[in-house]
Amino acid sequence: MNTVKNLTWSRYKYPDSIYSFGAILLALVFLGYSIEFLGIDLSRLPSLFGRIADTLSNRYYPADLEYITDTDYLSSVLESIQMAYLGALFGMLIAIPLAWFASYNVTISRRAAYPIARLAIMWSRSVHEMIWAIIFVTILGFGMLPGVFALIMFCIGFAGKLFAEEIEAIDMGPVEAMQSTGASPIQVMMYAVLPQVRVAWTGIAIYTWDVAFRAATVVGFFGAGGMGWYLKRNVQQLETERVAAIMLSIIALVVVSEGISAWARHRVAKAKKPEVQDEHSEEV
Amino acid sequence: MSSTIANLIDNVEIQRKKRQTSQIFTVVALIVLVAWSVQVTVVADTDWERIGTFSQILESVGRFIAIDFEVIPHLGVPILETFMMATLGTILGLFTSLPVAWFGAANVTPSMTFFYPLGRFLMTLSRSIHEIVWALIFVAAVGLGALPGILAIAMRSVGFISKITADAIENIDRKPVEAIRAMGGSNFQVMYFGIIPQILPIVIGTIIFEWDINIRRSAIMGLVGAGGLGLTFFRQLSMYNYAGVTTVILAILSLVIFGEIVSHFVRKKLV
Repeated sequence: MNTVKNLTWSRYKYPDSIYSFGAILLALVFLGYSIEFLGIDLSRLPSLFGRIADTLSNRYYPADLEYITDTDYLSSVLESIQMAYLGALFGMLIAIPLAWFASYNVTISRRAAYPIARLAIMWSRSVHEMIWAIIFVTILGFGMLPGVFALIMFCIGFAGKLFAEEIEAIDMGPVEAMQSTGASPIQVMMYAVLPQVRVAWTGIAIYTWDVAFRAATVVGFFGAGGMGWYLKRNVQQLETERVAAIMLSIIALVVVSEGISAWARHRVAKAKKPEVQDEHSEEV
Repeated sequence: MSSTIANLIDNVEIQRKKRQTSQIFTVVALIVLVAWSVQVTVVADTDWERIGTFSQILESVGRFIAIDFEVIPHLGVPILETFMMATLGTILGLFTSLPVAWFGAANVTPSMTFFYPLGRFLMTLSRSIHEIVWALIFVAAVGLGALPGILAIAMRSVGFISKITADAIENIDRKPVEAIRAMGGSNFQVMYFGIIPQILPIVIGTIIFEWDINIRRSAIMGLVGAGGLGLTFFRQLSMYNYAGVTTVILAILSLVIFGEIVSHFVRKKLV
């Protein structure tokens, strides 16, 4: 019985403990160097939360709720929703063939189509939606059209990656069966691949719309239409109470859209097959 | 007998008709919505004279297709800044998300009535607010520089990391926890030896994934005054140096691809 008392527990045995210690040390050195490099004044950190609370309560606190019930602002909310709808729809229409080419198991050509489609998806994913918005605004001028284009680019990257991952996880049996009877690639796609990924894709499509809406609320910040423009204008005019109201409206709208999308995805997953995972419900 | 079969067939046909009508209805609704949105956003709102002819569009696109080699030497410091902002933001986000995950995991939360909903609400809040909006809040509160960018990235990461961590804690195997309790382990020992080893692979994979996304996010923090490559991008754009803009975008792209490669290999090795 006494042995129990004398046990010393340790997660890592001798050589591993040195490695984990070294890794932590290295991370700390990097941390210290970055803080030095970025010029962050650590002595100001303890009072940070107090200052944030002060700023928020003094300047942002009574949010100007009348401003966001104004018809102009409400119509810009509608614009954002429409932009997200169009961007997600056309983005996904482009993403579907790209995802087909970019999945290694069913692509039409592993040497040409596969790397090109992969690169296209990666390219549109790597550039942030705000940068797409700025580029399209410089090319097309202010308005909602560049916003829609920016969201299309964003949705190609977002939906294309998830669509392709879904295709790569399918059961290859039906595909091989159809290929052995001489089916064309389009027939294979239509009758062997699509029925297997349909449910998962529906979930992804709903989620893409949700994420596109989240992006649509702010692409207007650089002149691409929707409510982001109101945000920009009031930030620059230091109308902090209006900014607070706009931020509250963005948060409320996003929470509502996330609720709707979670509910819709849940219904899709329940109505069809149990194998559907709801797990890539996450981020960009 | 034959009449029941006929009935069944009728039923199937009725069902099929119903499904067809509802499908047609959905498609029509979709098309009407598209037409309406296109009318409002593209036709009514666009300044077609500003855009001009197709060749003029090609010309404005063409201005971007060049590389300004003079900008390249000035990219080193912003690239490092962006990278560090993403890393520090992820680390800070990790530490902030630990209590949130603790509150939001149903089996370890201190109070199911108060802390559990609070934790879940914080997760949703953090993920709902776009990083630009977070950055605006922090730039207003702590001033310009890298600090608001780090804070914004941290706040945006909390939701994802803590949600995955909380779900992982909820799905752990209870047996090691009970075994450690039975051996007389303290609460801390239960957590350190019973829970953490089980969730560690998932949490590390999530953190690396989030870090990869955060590189992308920290590249735009400069647009609202938080330093890094975004600031360089904005300066080049303000000078109408389109070749420089392309160069900065290529720099962002290579940094993101670097992050993606690192994240791919580390996750493969650890998880």
